[in-house]
Amino acid sequence: MLSPAPEEPLLLAELKPGRPHQFDWKSSCETWSVAFSPDGSWFAWSQGHCIVKLIPWPLEEQFIPKGFEAKSRSSKSDTKGRSSPKEKTLDCGQIVWGLAFSPWPSPPSRKLWARHHPQVPDVSCLILATGLNDGQIKIWEVQTGLLLLNLSGHQDVVRDLSFTPSGSLILVSASRDKTLRIWDLNKHGKQIQVLSGHLQWVYCCSISPDCSMLCSAAGEKSVFLWSMRSYTLIRKLEGHQSSVVSCDFSPDSALLVTASYDTNVIMWDPYTGERLRSLHHTQLDPSMDDSDVHMSSLRSVCFSPEGLYLATVADDRLLRIWALELKAPIAFAPMTNGLCCTFFPHGGVIATGTRDGHVQFWTAPRVLSSLKHLCRKALRSFLTTYQVLALPIPKKMKEFLTYRTF
Amino acid sequence: MDGEEKTYAGCEGPDDMYVKLISSGGHEFIVKREYALTSGTIKATLSGPSQFAENKTNEVNFISKVCMCFTCKVRYTNSSTKIPEFPIAPKIALELLMAANFLDC
Repeated sequence: MLSPAPEEPLLLAELKPGRPHQFDWKSSCETWSVAFSPDGSWFAWSQGHCIVKLIPWPLEEQFIPKGFEAKSRSSKSDTKGRSSPKEKTLDCGQIVWGLAFSPWPSPPSRKLWARHHPQVPDVSCLILATGLNDGQIKIWEVQTGLLLLNLSGHQDVVRDLSFTPSGSLILVSASRDKTLRIWDLNKHGKQIQVLSGHLQWVYCCSISPDCSMLCSAAGEKSVFLWSMRSYTLIRKLEGHQSSVVSCDFSPDSALLVTASYDTNVIMWDPYTGERLRSLHHTQLDPSMDDSDVHMSSLRSVCFSPEGLYLATVADDRLLRIWALELKAPIAFAPMTNGLCCTFFPHGGVIATGTRDGHVQFWTAPRVLSSLKHLCRKALRSFLTTYQVLALPIPKKMKEFLTYRTF
Repeated sequence: MDGEEKTYAGCEGPDDMYVKLISSGGHEFIVKREYALTSGTIKATLSGPSQFAENKTNEVNFISKVCMCFTCKVRYTNSSTKIPEFPIAPKIALELLMAANFLDC
């Protein structure tokens, strides 16, 4: 079902922030999050020291040579041509932890615009939400770099953010204050719900592509699934042995993956709560003695856009690519101090961020989905597991459709 | 598939360049043999013993989306151009899955 002979991820480009020498490079320089806009036209790079750079995609030619230093500068005048005139620099004023783009285009919202523009513009607006150290969330307009809104409510670091994929401008935030909050950007960023229940820091949140479910994961090892219609808890997924720090749904909403400091990624059926498999992150070199073993704590996991691969970043200095049906990674790339990863929405590229504020772009396996998988993806985008099991089709076909056959 | 009148070299024998695929609704699709061989089932059918009627006349029943799938596969395998979306309407997805399962593609 998969294309044969996948290649190792190759480093396509690396962006490094240029810093004046007086900064202490050891603190607050991490790239906690990276993100592509859903239409693939922008890349957001939280490059540490409170700065987020918005870079048009694809990257300009001058970014491609390795080691090129993309210095942060004002977007106003740039005759040297080292950075694109369309590139935007957002100074958030404090450490940036979470990032999320709204789907594009969003319907223009009168109230959102009223502050900065006397008339509502014709063009709809791409938004970036940034989650900050003291619990604030800043909402920015991408095309202009203007600050649109400040959302207050969280009492501690906003670690992750997620917009509903439908474009309804509902934003979910996950915080170290153990809550998740739902914000309506159509109503001046009004906080419409607080989701309580987690006992420790909430590390991540993710909304299913069909907008029906919200997943959150926290330090107390549990993963929660919430309904996005009633904002109530649907179920708790138990199984991880340590903090769960990253989660992602498959493009057809049929699978959920979660990554933990316990060195495992677990794949779940979000409709039934069943564990489908565990992906163990073990050392490549088993001859290392115990005192030397680097824990393969997971930092990030994400699905590829066609739903056939996963990328993971772990503390053992490896970026791993997994095929959905196999128990061992199909490719590795060396990556030190990795913190986050995400696929380019049209496939072909993976972006990763590191502790020193760098981002890298890697080649991702290029795959032609089989017709069977394309049909499965089309069906599962609107059928729950229980609906599939009720279909008048052979057992083997049900197993295929519910991702039980591996 | 654009409705133009075309003459083809012929779909008469096992070595011909084209094969004719007929849906259960009677629609005929003439495709290059090489493309149709994307399906393991069709390949097996066409290369089987020539006593089978299917082989002589190079006709297999199925539907048009599968043809499009073959074309995509041949066109985009080992190519660096961006793979376009392959939309599947929800109401045909189940039937198409059955066909894809049968044809192993």
